Amino acid sequence: MQRKPHILVRLLAGFVFAFLLLPLVIILGASLTSGTFLTFPPQGLSLRWFSFVLQQENFISSFQTSLIVATFGTGFALLVGVPVAYALARFRNGLPGWYSSIFFLPVLVPEIVFGFSLLKGVIVEYDLPVITALLIGHTIIAIPYAVRIVGASLSTFDFAAEEAAISLGASPIKTFFTVVLPNIRSGIIAAFILAFITSLNDVSVSLFLTGPGISTLPIELFTYVEQHFDPSVAAVSVLLMFLTIAVIAIVERSLGLSKVMR
Amino acid sequence: MSSPALSIRGVSAHYGQSKVLDDLNLEIKSGELISLLGASGCGKTTTLRLIAGFMQPSAGTIHLGDRELTALPTHRRNIGLVFQNYALLPHLSVIDNVGFGLKQRRIASAERLRLARAMLEIVGLSHLADRMPAALSGGQKQRVALARALVIDPPLMMFDEPLSNLDAKLRVDMRVQIRRLQMTGNRTAVYVTHDQEEAFSISDRVAIMNAGKVVQLDTPEVLYRQPANAFVARFVGFENIVGFRVTDRTDNGKVGIEIDGGVQVALSEADFGKIPDRGLIATRPDGLTISDVPGGIPATIGLRTFLGRTYQYHCESAAGMLVAHGRIETPHEAGAQTVLAISPQHSAILPFETLAGPKEQQA
Amino acid sequence: MKRQLGRSLPLLLVLPGTLVVLAFLVLPVLGTFSGTIGPAGNRLALYETFFANSNNMRIVLRTIRIALIATVISLVFGFVAASVIVRTNGFLRQILLVASVFPLLTGAIVRSFAWMVILGRNGIINSTLMSLGVIDQPLTLLFTEGSLMIGLVYLFTPLAILSLMGVLESIDESVLDASASLGATPFGVFRQVTLPLAIPGLIVGGVLVFTGSLAAFATARLLGGESQKILPALLHEKAMVSFDWDAANTIAVVMVALTVVVIVAAQYTARRFNPVAG
Repeated sequence: MQRKPHILVRLLAGFVFAFLLLPLVIILGASLTSGTFLTFPPQGLSLRWFSFVLQQENFISSFQTSLIVATFGTGFALLVGVPVAYALARFRNGLPGWYSSIFFLPVLVPEIVFGFSLLKGVIVEYDLPVITALLIGHTIIAIPYAVRIVGASLSTFDFAAEEAAISLGASPIKTFFTVVLPNIRSGIIAAFILAFITSLNDVSVSLFLTGPGISTLPIELFTYVEQHFDPSVAAVSVLLMFLTIAVIAIVERSLGLSKVMR
Repeated sequence: MSSPALSIRGVSAHYGQSKVLDDLNLEIKSGELISLLGASGCGKTTTLRLIAGFMQPSAGTIHLGDRELTALPTHRRNIGLVFQNYALLPHLSVIDNVGFGLKQRRIASAERLRLARAMLEIVGLSHLADRMPAALSGGQKQRVALARALVIDPPLMMFDEPLSNLDAKLRVDMRVQIRRLQMTGNRTAVYVTHDQEEAFSISDRVAIMNAGKVVQLDTPEVLYRQPANAFVARFVGFENIVGFRVTDRTDNGKVGIEIDGGVQVALSEADFGKIPDRGLIATRPDGLTISDVPGGIPATIGLRTFLGRTYQYHCESAAGMLVAHGRIETPHEAGAQTVLAISPQHSAILPFETLAGPKEQQA
Repeated sequence: MKRQLGRSLPLLLVLPGTLVVLAFLVLPVLGTFSGTIGPAGNRLALYETFFANSNNMRIVLRTIRIALIATVISLVFGFVAASVIVRTNGFLRQILLVASVFPLLTGAIVRSFAWMVILGRNGIINSTLMSLGVIDQPLTLLFTEGSLMIGLVYLFTPLAILSLMGVLESIDESVLDASASLGATPFGVFRQVTLPLAIPGLIVGGVLVFTGSLAAFATARLLGGESQKILPALLHEKAMVSFDWDAANTIAVVMVALTVVVIVAAQYTARRFNPVAG
């Protein structure tokens, strides 16, 4: 039996939830306008702005760039991050206690500082192409998610299962792939989703790393908003929201996200 | 100062749609310790929560002395509560926990400290005054909880299965201390438990509850000897309950009955009092002895368990599975045929009712 | 051979990750730091120049001030919302959780843009007020400190909710019941029990919101504009517009310093005021 919170608290909470959701509803509404201005409620309903943005070269190509960067950046972060998480969980004595903090340094450094430093110290220094710059930047962004979330999954993993498998004759590498990996699958997937979405939405790092002709969707959107203030921004926003929901729904459907999110 | 009496009249309560208390009536006398005894789900905790004010009844009233509690919010009811999981405030030290109730009553800091220390002395925890709850053992936490509830000198104390989380030896020691403190202060108290031995050892009266109603309210002695029905009987340890009907009566009070399964047994009204034409006869395992004297119940011995002072035998008979005790000196082997004699001082006659099947009886 | 490999296995596993972080994060940031070290004899020259400029000082103070206020408001909102979620069950709870977390997944630009639509000259508020006849000229709601504040609170309230859910959930309800039975009024229970026990969550949430607000570039530009510049916007301007990399480096160091100070202060406060461990 749970006691209900005080009526004032519930009212204020209701206001907070409305505060959180209404702006997104407003964007949805504004994107469906048939007029040329950003208004809410929309003047008439139409999907014209959606078809408009889906034909805009800059949005399309920057979206493709974002997808590639997010996928490979997150993927690479997992590639280097999962072994790290494994080592930190399994070999507590082999590594000093403070070692894990190294992989949370991206959290300590504001993204804008990181982006700027990366540009100055590496990209300009070695004249690296834009796409490489973006991949490097987004990998670093994703590493803390890989280490932290997979680490959490590993903390509930009983390593005795590994030892049992090895005693039964499996080689350490085979054991890792057949015993450990399947059990932390949900952690890896959660890390992937969160890092992927963060990367898709990133502004502060990409800001310094994009170059002529190559941009990520958020940066493209950002420059567009500062110059044009029309419903196409709303349409892109709605499309992004649906993409996010779709990614999560697909994973939920095929792999049972509720187990991951608890 | 004499404690007031607690009066529960016509109280019903619901969780959503389901009724958990059904027209409950209970009068608790001043200074009395009453236990509410029953299995989980019987409504005993709900009753306690209603008295405390964590729930509102859907019908009925609760009075403490001449104050009507049902109209008051929890923090004005002035009841001392001791919880099953102690419910100590984790961020306050022991002494601050004990003084918490006094602080709400705006008692000055120095006075608060004095009263709290005195109470800690009484429960034997003076040396732990500055410890934090996380550093205490279960027994110590419970004593702090006790001190905290007593120090506000409430007219009513309530205990919600306070000893369930402690180990056996501690339980016995603590319940004695609780009873002693209750008697010294002459406080009215309601004690909720599922442990029959615990309830019987410290209560003035016990209310056995089932499905939201009080099934029998009596002193422990009466409950032990004269359960009102099969449910209570099973609760207080009558493991063997079979139906019977009277087949013949004689003038000098000897009654012949036929029990389930067709066995004839002879009883005397001098031992049992008036025996109705139909009823149940309930016997404790102590009351069924293995003998060869005719007139008992034929049975085949099954599993033998060692209880220390006796052997316990599960026996198959025409009346069903019966549990009997036998002397340590003469163990019997499984498979042996024997006769079980009923001894009146460990038996009781109950009104007739249709008995549930074996599985349901265990619920 | 196998044993040697065994002992160095942990190091081998963390090596790639460590190298990546060192090469692409640590070294470049250290490079930025070293770029702020002035000539011998006057190592702090760049800092002196930076802080001597009153405009810069104004921006630094504004950044800190706005971050502080946004933190307080977000924590209040987060506390209230988390309290309700914790006491809700079943389907409604799932919905409330999704409502709280979903905005986090939509990105800063989308969320700041929403407020541009609401607060703009032709935005919802102005259009409604004008059509109701309350005003005849649109109010300037955008590009003010207020609009920036709203944007930051909107951005970070979900984080506050998530940070507080953990602590609020762990408060045993019987402890609250016990406090009430001992005579504490509902507000008394909140002040003496709930709030102290929520402090670890408030600290974690506070750090997240504050450090996030310090660095919220997109929101600052979109909702604060030129007149309400804060440090991240200033950094970008110096780096990419005026190419004053000395100033940019200095701002970078100041931002990192602020972040580190806040995190360290929070760790210290958390340890000192850890309510349960005394």
